[in-house]
Amino acid sequence: MRRLGFAVKVLGRPGLKEHDSRRWQNNPHLSVSLAYLRDIFEYLRSQRIRMYRISSDLAPYLTHPDMPQFHGQIEECAVELEAVGRLAQEADLRLSFHPSQYVLLNAPDEDLARRSAMDLNAQAEILERMGLGPEAVVVTHVGGVYDGHEAARERFVRRFERLPELTRRRLVLENDDQRFSVADVLWIHRRTGLRLVFDNLHHYNCNPEGMPLREALAACLATWPADVTPKVHFSSPRTEMRVAERKDPATGRKEAVLQPPDWTNHSDYVNPFEFIAFLREAAGLRPFDVMLEAKAKDLALLRLREDLARFAPDLAETIQ
Amino acid sequence: MSEDLDAAVLVAVLNNRRDFEIARDQGWYRIPVKRAPGRVAADYLAFYQTKAFGDEGWAVHYLAPVRRFRIVTRAELLPDEPDHPRAGDAYYKVEIGPLQRLPRPIPSRSLRRITFIPTTLGRLLAAQEINDLWWRDDPQERLWRALREAGLQAEYRYLAGEPPDEVPVDFALFCQEGRIAVLCDDLGEGRRTLGEPPMPDYALAAGGWRVLRFTREDLTDRLPTCVGAVLALVHQLGGPGTG
Repeated sequence: MRRLGFAVKVLGRPGLKEHDSRRWQNNPHLSVSLAYLRDIFEYLRSQRIRMYRISSDLAPYLTHPDMPQFHGQIEECAVELEAVGRLAQEADLRLSFHPSQYVLLNAPDEDLARRSAMDLNAQAEILERMGLGPEAVVVTHVGGVYDGHEAARERFVRRFERLPELTRRRLVLENDDQRFSVADVLWIHRRTGLRLVFDNLHHYNCNPEGMPLREALAACLATWPADVTPKVHFSSPRTEMRVAERKDPATGRKEAVLQPPDWTNHSDYVNPFEFIAFLREAAGLRPFDVMLEAKAKDLALLRLREDLARFAPDLAETIQ
Repeated sequence: MSEDLDAAVLVAVLNNRRDFEIARDQGWYRIPVKRAPGRVAADYLAFYQTKAFGDEGWAVHYLAPVRRFRIVTRAELLPDEPDHPRAGDAYYKVEIGPLQRLPRPIPSRSLRRITFIPTTLGRLLAAQEINDLWWRDDPQERLWRALREAGLQAEYRYLAGEPPDEVPVDFALFCQEGRIAVLCDDLGEGRRTLGEPPMPDYALAAGGWRVLRFTREDLTDRLPTCVGAVLALVHQLGGPGTG
């Protein structure tokens, strides 16, 4: 039975926050975020959802260079991390992190790279202290191109090798939608052993090598050990007109203009026909879990379940 | 007090003066892990004080910012009760800042028992009475407003039955010659989140309740009919009263 998951924000329950979002002046704390996470687990249990992406802001200001008062939160919450991790294990809940776009391990700026590594280390440590198995991962991208595509890839490998063992063990790499394709992350995998997360929409948008989808998916799945279920990201492209704001050069006033879609944007819900076609394309490959990246979050997941039961009952039976 | 009206507030219950003094003087409140509600996390705790508080009873008067959560045993929290039967049980110790008195208290009209209520700072500050605090699914909110507009005073999430087996009734109405339980099937955060079994009609009937059930579709597409059914039953039971 493969899992369906969603990312961070819960829309199906009003007021259910994903982390302690108070400003630093109000002393937010990881322990409060963990209480929110516990409440989210209660909701996931009620909806039989067994895969979830935790907010990257779970530990507020944890690595902020000017706020040392927040730096000790992980140690301070050892008991609470273990307890919430136990809840996840009891519920067979697969958890992950996906750090923000500001985490750039391959940045030429050593300071930015160092701070990025700190964020990755912190998230890996949180999963570790929760006592979670190797399915619980921190998903990252290669980063920017900067001084050249190959140099940027090489720099990612060097920086990865400098990470602590714990972080290297939890980190996985995802193809992106503009710069580093499945072929690129496979290149990095061959040098580092990093597990790969295949993202369908990124692959459609960034596949200069013309690698067929099934081949790309199979190659990513093969990077995972036999006893660990791989995961993939799935989303549908947003097709609506976009409303952008533009300054009229003649009057200097801002005005709304309609623009065609950007195919890298996620839709609110998952197009069930695309999802079914994707699973049919993956038939015969090893089983994998699917993290849905849709703006309607858990509502999109619940709707996809209904759609699968209606349009592809044979697949619905294999998915939870 | 923060101006963030979306800040999360958990209304907790204070049953005795000792727990009030602990909250005020030592800055913490406890929730047993095993019996914790579906939501425990919040930016603030507010306190519903029960009859033990005399003139200040059956109302929310105080609010305090949440500082942090810890998981500890009861024995660690209350070392003067080492032989308590639950001394070894795990509790959430919710550490809080100074108690702040609300601009105006939030009373319960019917002097009712409640469990925890998750709400927001905005709702708390605007509430006229306890029933204004709850989040309601949209169809429930529309029923709530429609009942008010029809001149009916309902109690939301009223606890029917006796502890520890009480079950929340979505809307309770008290009449001259009986009481009505309005249940919204497949609605309501409480039942689904907490995995509560729906209370069968016969169990409510045995407790003296007349039961009306509405589905999401009823409340969305046929709200006037639903309100009409409630009004008819209230009339049949002698009109509004104390049940």
